[in-house]
Amino acid sequence: MIAFMGSPKKAVLVIVLVIFWASSLLIGGALPASAATEQEIEEIVSLWQPSVHALNDVNCASCHQNNESNEFVANPDHESCLSCHEQPVETFLLGKHGIRLLEGESPLTPKIAQIPMKRDAFDQQMNCNACHNVHSVNTMQAAVDSCLTCHNDTHSLNYENSKHAQAVFASQPLPRPGSASVTCATCHLPRVAHKSADGIPTAKVNHNNTYTLKPRDRMVGEVCMNCHGVEYSYNSIFDDELVEANFDRPPTLNHQTFDLMRAAEERRVGNASVSEGAG
Amino acid sequence: MKRRSSRNLFWPQKLKPKLKSVIVLALIMLLLSISTAFALEQKQIFLPGETSEGHHLFEASCASCHEGFKQVSNETCNRCHEAELENDLHGAKKFRDPRWAEFREKVDVLTCTACHNEHVHMFGRGVHLQPDLCMACHEELTLTQLKSHEGFAPDGCWTAGCHNYHEHDTISTGFLRQNMGQPAMLPVQQLPERVVETELEAAPEPNLQKEFLGGKS
Repeated sequence: MIAFMGSPKKAVLVIVLVIFWASSLLIGGALPASAATEQEIEEIVSLWQPSVHALNDVNCASCHQNNESNEFVANPDHESCLSCHEQPVETFLLGKHGIRLLEGESPLTPKIAQIPMKRDAFDQQMNCNACHNVHSVNTMQAAVDSCLTCHNDTHSLNYENSKHAQAVFASQPLPRPGSASVTCATCHLPRVAHKSADGIPTAKVNHNNTYTLKPRDRMVGEVCMNCHGVEYSYNSIFDDELVEANFDRPPTLNHQTFDLMRAAEERRVGNASVSEGAG
Repeated sequence: MKRRSSRNLFWPQKLKPKLKSVIVLALIMLLLSISTAFALEQKQIFLPGETSEGHHLFEASCASCHEGFKQVSNETCNRCHEAELENDLHGAKKFRDPRWAEFREKVDVLTCTACHNEHVHMFGRGVHLQPDLCMACHEELTLTQLKSHEGFAPDGCWTAGCHNYHEHDTISTGFLRQNMGQPAMLPVQQLPERVVETELEAAPEPNLQKEFLGGKS
């Protein structure tokens, strides 16, 4: 106490220093964006020219210029995409990939994930352009390659051995997965049938990557049963080993639910015929 | 000197100066670590326990769920989980009906946090109640009256993956009966097709160039 009360100036000095040090840590984040070279711009323009963006008159300034102030924006973020792509951005913000942005935190980085991630990608910031090449707008890349840039668990790594992947690699030149391709996104960021304002059937992509993940029966209904029968679907998705192997073989599990259902059906049909006989 | 020798409740006189300095130092250290936690956005030190899967990603954002020390409300959960609860089997639609009111005394089904507390041990799916929670209301029906479920464990309803508390679109008896016996591959395998339309035949001239060379942000 003597030491403390004896030198109030020192105590104030310590507190001021602590506050100064703490605030300097907060400010440290804002670094100026680095300039692009002529060559980089040329490459970007050539990616953009055949893209759906270019052919719909979405030009550089559409994203790189603030609508109101006309100020140049070097690194547009999800807010910029939101002005046209409302549904994808809004669903992205509800899943694990985007939730930090919704909550006003810094973007998610694979470093803080609780599942295995590639070390090289630890500092990758999860925003729209982490997965999408926003200049080529090639969503084929966003549907598989982008996922494997970060994800390093056995299920992800075994994707290329799966029947699903074979269907993808055997397919088509479109800059987006066709309706016969089963990519990572087919199951984890699934297309949802939708009708446009003028009644034309189309599809929207649910970017909430958590929605079909758990509970597993939700994925059965939303995704698996677009192609597979109900028993095949359940017997696959509830077999942990098969999930890890990324469905490289048909299921061997026999979910007891279906035995119960069959027995109940037999009783129902049996009762019906008994009452018919009696009648 | 005289002033210091007078009776002081905060610093009892018997406390040795050395000990006093240690206490002051400890308090400063505590203040320092709390302010550092704030400054470094490391609010995790204020968490009372482990955060559930998914929520851990934004666990430092206390205000996402908490408004002061008020109880977390359903509205808070619905900010993100509306889609999952669209066809809620145990939702307000059913339990506002007086016929089911008595069951609400067993489990407060209309309050998310009755089953989904946070920062405590979870038994799966973000549920902190014991896995036999269904038995609070369904014991008599399932384990004694339902022949097909004779001998089933009381904690297996949802942990085995057969029942889903909130939705049974793809797990109900009706749905399974209707779809049983389907082949591995359905006759028509149809994923929704993306329709992408274009307005122009060729790309326009890029309308920004020099700006990118400046590197202004």
